[in-house]
Amino acid sequence: MKVFDVIVIGGGLSGFMSAAVAANRGQRVALLTYGSGSLPLASGAIDFLNAEAPDAAIKNLPAHHPYKKIGLKNIDAAAKFFCDVTAQADLPYNGNLSAQIPIVTAVGTLKYSCLVPESMDASKLADKKKIFVAGIKGLKDFYAAMIIDNLKKYFPDKIFEAATLDLNLLGGRDITCMDAAQLLTGNEQIFADGLKKLNATEDDVIIIPPILGLEGNSSRAAVKSQLRAEIFETTCLPPSPPGIRLQRAFIKYLQKSGVKIFENSKVVRGVVEGKKITGVVVENAVREKIFPARKIILATGGFYSGGITMRDFDNPIEPIFNLPVFFTTGAENWSNENLFGDKPQGFSMTGIFTDANLNPIDEDGKILFENLHVVGANLGGCDKIFERSAGGIAIASAYKGATL
Amino acid sequence: MEKATVVVIGGGATGLGILRDLSMRGVKALLVEKNDLVNGASSRYHGLLHSGGRYAVKDQEAAKECIIENQIMRKIGKSCVEPCGGMFTRLDIDDEAYEEAWVKGCADSGIEATPITLDEAFKLEPRLSRKHVKSAYLVPDAAVDGFRMSWQLIDSSKRYGGQVKTYTEVIGFDTVNGELRGVKVRNQFTGEEYEIGCDIAVNAAGGWAAFVGKLAGVEIGVQPDKGTLIAFNQRIVNHVVNRLHKSSDGDIFVPHGSITILGTSSMSVPSPEDTSTSREEVESLIKIGEQTFEDLRDFRILRTFAGSRPLYIPPGGAIGRSASRGFAIVDHEQDGLKGLFTIVGGKFTTFRLMAEKMCNQICTKLNNTTPCRTAEEPLVEEVPQADKDRAKKFFPSYGVNLAATRLGVERFKKVVERLESEPESRELVCECENVTRAEVEEICKEDTSFIVNDVRRRTRIGMGTCQGNFCALRAAAVFADTGVESTAKDSLTRMKEFLQGRWKGIRPVLLGRTLRETEMTRAIYELSMAINNAQGGMNNAKNNS
Repeated sequence: MKVFDVIVIGGGLSGFMSAAVAANRGQRVALLTYGSGSLPLASGAIDFLNAEAPDAAIKNLPAHHPYKKIGLKNIDAAAKFFCDVTAQADLPYNGNLSAQIPIVTAVGTLKYSCLVPESMDASKLADKKKIFVAGIKGLKDFYAAMIIDNLKKYFPDKIFEAATLDLNLLGGRDITCMDAAQLLTGNEQIFADGLKKLNATEDDVIIIPPILGLEGNSSRAAVKSQLRAEIFETTCLPPSPPGIRLQRAFIKYLQKSGVKIFENSKVVRGVVEGKKITGVVVENAVREKIFPARKIILATGGFYSGGITMRDFDNPIEPIFNLPVFFTTGAENWSNENLFGDKPQGFSMTGIFTDANLNPIDEDGKILFENLHVVGANLGGCDKIFERSAGGIAIASAYKGATL
Repeated sequence: MEKATVVVIGGGATGLGILRDLSMRGVKALLVEKNDLVNGASSRYHGLLHSGGRYAVKDQEAAKECIIENQIMRKIGKSCVEPCGGMFTRLDIDDEAYEEAWVKGCADSGIEATPITLDEAFKLEPRLSRKHVKSAYLVPDAAVDGFRMSWQLIDSSKRYGGQVKTYTEVIGFDTVNGELRGVKVRNQFTGEEYEIGCDIAVNAAGGWAAFVGKLAGVEIGVQPDKGTLIAFNQRIVNHVVNRLHKSSDGDIFVPHGSITILGTSSMSVPSPEDTSTSREEVESLIKIGEQTFEDLRDFRILRTFAGSRPLYIPPGGAIGRSASRGFAIVDHEQDGLKGLFTIVGGKFTTFRLMAEKMCNQICTKLNNTTPCRTAEEPLVEEVPQADKDRAKKFFPSYGVNLAATRLGVERFKKVVERLESEPESRELVCECENVTRAEVEEICKEDTSFIVNDVRRRTRIGMGTCQGNFCALRAAAVFADTGVESTAKDSLTRMKEFLQGRWKGIRPVLLGRTLRETEMTRAIYELSMAINNAQGGMNNAKNNS
C-alpha cells in the first residue's frame, strides 16, 4: 500500500477536522474510523469556553492547558476553517470567539456557544413578543410544557404558547428527533403547513425540536420561507440531528477533498521505528493490515470514545500506542460528590500530555514519537465538559495537529 | 384533627407489614414515613429470601422462622419472588468441620439441603471456581424484590382501609398523664406541622428507631450496621450462591432478573443516614467474591449501594442471646408511656412474622380478637391473563410480567387501556427497563410520588444499563406534567436530584464502561441541556470567566 502523508485515527469531530485540514493542504490523507464517532451525541454547537469572551479568557488559562499549547492564532484559524467547511455543505454556522450565542435546550434552559448552527441561533429571542414552543404528536424527548416552564424564568415578560402539531408521523412506538428529521426530509411541506396554522407573526418566534433534516440547511429553508416568524431548533437527547448534520457536512468535505475513509477500522497498534511511527496496524474480522504513513494524528477521544480506557483503578490506558496517560490519583480526587457541581471532575481531566507540537510526552517532558500528534478529547489536563471547551479543543487541536 | 386508632411509624417492610396486618383485622391504621417508602434497609439489601441455611449453625430458631416464612412468602407474594433456588458452596479455604455442623443444623431446622456433586454444581453454575469449590448443596433460597413486595403490601393495606403518608416525619408525641394521645408530624416538602390523634403508636423505624424513641423520651438500643452491596449488570449466577462457612462479608450472590447483587459488608455506623459506599469497600467485596467466581472483575458493575441493618441491643447488654432471634418488641408502658410500642431488629424474610407478633400485642390491648390472616391471603390478586395478552402487543413478554406485578390489577388495566387508545403513551420513557409513558404517568399521579426518585422506585426507570441517561429528562418532563403541583413543576431540580441519586452509587465504581456512561451523562446534561445554566441567563458564563 502507498504511504499516506497523514493517517488520522478517529471518526469524531477532531478526526474529521484533522483530515479536512490536512487534505486542504494538499496532503494524501487516510481517515480510519471505528464506530459512529461522538458527533451523534453532540448538540451541534461548538463550545469554546465557559466565558463571556472565550478568546480573552483563553489567554488566562494555565500553561498546561491544551489551548495554551495550541495558541490563539490556531484557535482562530480553526474556527474560520470550520465555518468554511460547514458553509460549503450548506450548513451555515454563526458566531466567533469573542462572544457567546444562546441556544434553547430541550429542557428550556439557555446554552451558550461560540459557533452555532444558524438553525439554533436564538439571539433574536430577546426581541420577540411571543414565543411558541411547538412539538409534534408522537415525538418523544420534546416536552413543550417543560421548556416553557423553564424558559419563562429567563423571559418572564414574554407570552408563551405551547402547541402540538399532529403530522400523522407516528409509525412505530418511538419517534425520536432523528426519526422525525428523516421522515420530514422531502416532506417538509407537512411540517410547514402545521406551523403555519399557529399564525405566528414577525413579532413571534417558534421554537421547535431539531428535526429540520439530517443534511445541510435545505429542509429548514423550505419551511422557513413559508413563515413570517423566525424558527429556532432546540438541542435534543442523542442521537442529535444537528450533530449528524455536522458529521455529514464533514464527510462530504472529506470525500470531495480526496480523503480515503476506512470505516470499521480498529487500529490496534503502531509500527514503531525508534522515535517514529511508520504505520498503523488495523484489525478486522479476518486479518491485520498495515497502513503506512509519514505522520499520524491520534484523534481517538477520551473515556467516552474509548481513546482512553480504564479497567482497574489508577491505571488508565491509551490502547493503541500505549502512551503514558496522566490522571488524578486517589479515590477522593477522582470524582466530586456532586455530579453537576462547581468544579472540574478529576477523572475527566485524564489524558495524554503533549508539548507545543502536540507530540506526546512522558513524565519528564521527553517527546515519545516525533511524527505522532494527539488531538481532541484524549488531550489531558482539563475537564472539557465542565469548562465547556470540548468542541473548541477538538477543532483547534486538530487544526494545529494537521498544519504542523 | 386527623385520627387513627394506630399510627405506624416507618415505611419499611416491618411497618408496612404491620399496617397490612392491622388493616386486615379491621383496625384503623395510618403509616407515616419521613422519606419515601422502603428507603431504608428494606430496599437496601441483597433481596435474598432466606431458606434459613445461613442461620442453620448460629441460630436455629431464626433458621426455622426463615424456612417457614420463606414458604409463606412464595405463596402470598408469588409475583415478587423469583424461585431461583440457592446453592451453598464450600471453598478449599473454608473449614470442613463447619460443613458437618451446617448439614446437621439444616436437618434440625427443617431446611432441605441436598448435596450435589461438583460436576452438577459446575453445570448449574458454570462460573464457579473449579480451583476453589470443594462441595456444594442446594437449598430453597430465593430472590425477592423488596420494592415490589412493599408496593403490594400497601395495595393490600389500602384495600382494607389502611392509609400511608410519605415524606411525613414524626417530630414528637402528644401525651397526657403518661398516656399517648397523638403523634406530631411535619410534611417534609411544605414544612407544615400537625398532629395525628391515635390510641397506639408503633415505632417501626428500623435504624431510626432510637431517634423516634428519643422524641418520646424512651431509650431504644439499636445499632445501625451498614452493609454495602454491589450490583453487577449481568446475571452472573442462576441461583443464590452462598459461601458455606461462618457468615461473613461478601459471601452471597443473588440473581435478580438481568442483574446480580453481591453483598454484603458489615460496619457499625453512627447514623442510619450513612448510606455512603467507598472504593475500598467495593474492592474488598470483590476480593472475597472472586474466591468463588474467579472472573468476577470481567463483569460490569452497575452501581453500589448500602443500607443499615437495625441491630437490636437489649438494655444493659451487648448483642447477646436475647438479640439473636433477630427482633424484639418493647411495650413502653414499662417506661411509663402507655400506648407506644417499638419493634426493632429482624430481617426482610421474616417481616410478616414480626408484624403478626406485634399486631397480636396491639390487638390484645384493643380487645380486638380478629385472628391474623396475613399468612393465608395473597398480597394482591393476580393480573388476569387476558389483560397481559392485550399488553403483549406493546411490550416484550418479559416486560409484561414485570409491569403487571409492579402495577397490580387495576393500574395495569388502566395502563393497558391507555396504551391501546393513545399511541403516544406507548413511548418508552426508559428503554433499559421497558417502562412506557403510560405507566410513568399512572405512577406520577400516585399520592406517594413527590420526586422523580419516588417514581423510579415504583417503575424501575433509571435502574438499568444507562442509569438514567435518557429517562431523567423524560421522567422529569412527564412528572412536571402529571405529578403533584408542589414539587413536580421544578423539573430541573427533579432531574438533577434524580441523576445525582444515580451518581451516588456510581462514584465508587467509576471505571471501565461506567466511565463512558458517565461522560455521556455529563455531555448530555451539562453541554446539550446546560442543566447548570438554569434561570440565570448569561450569569453562569459571566461568573466563570
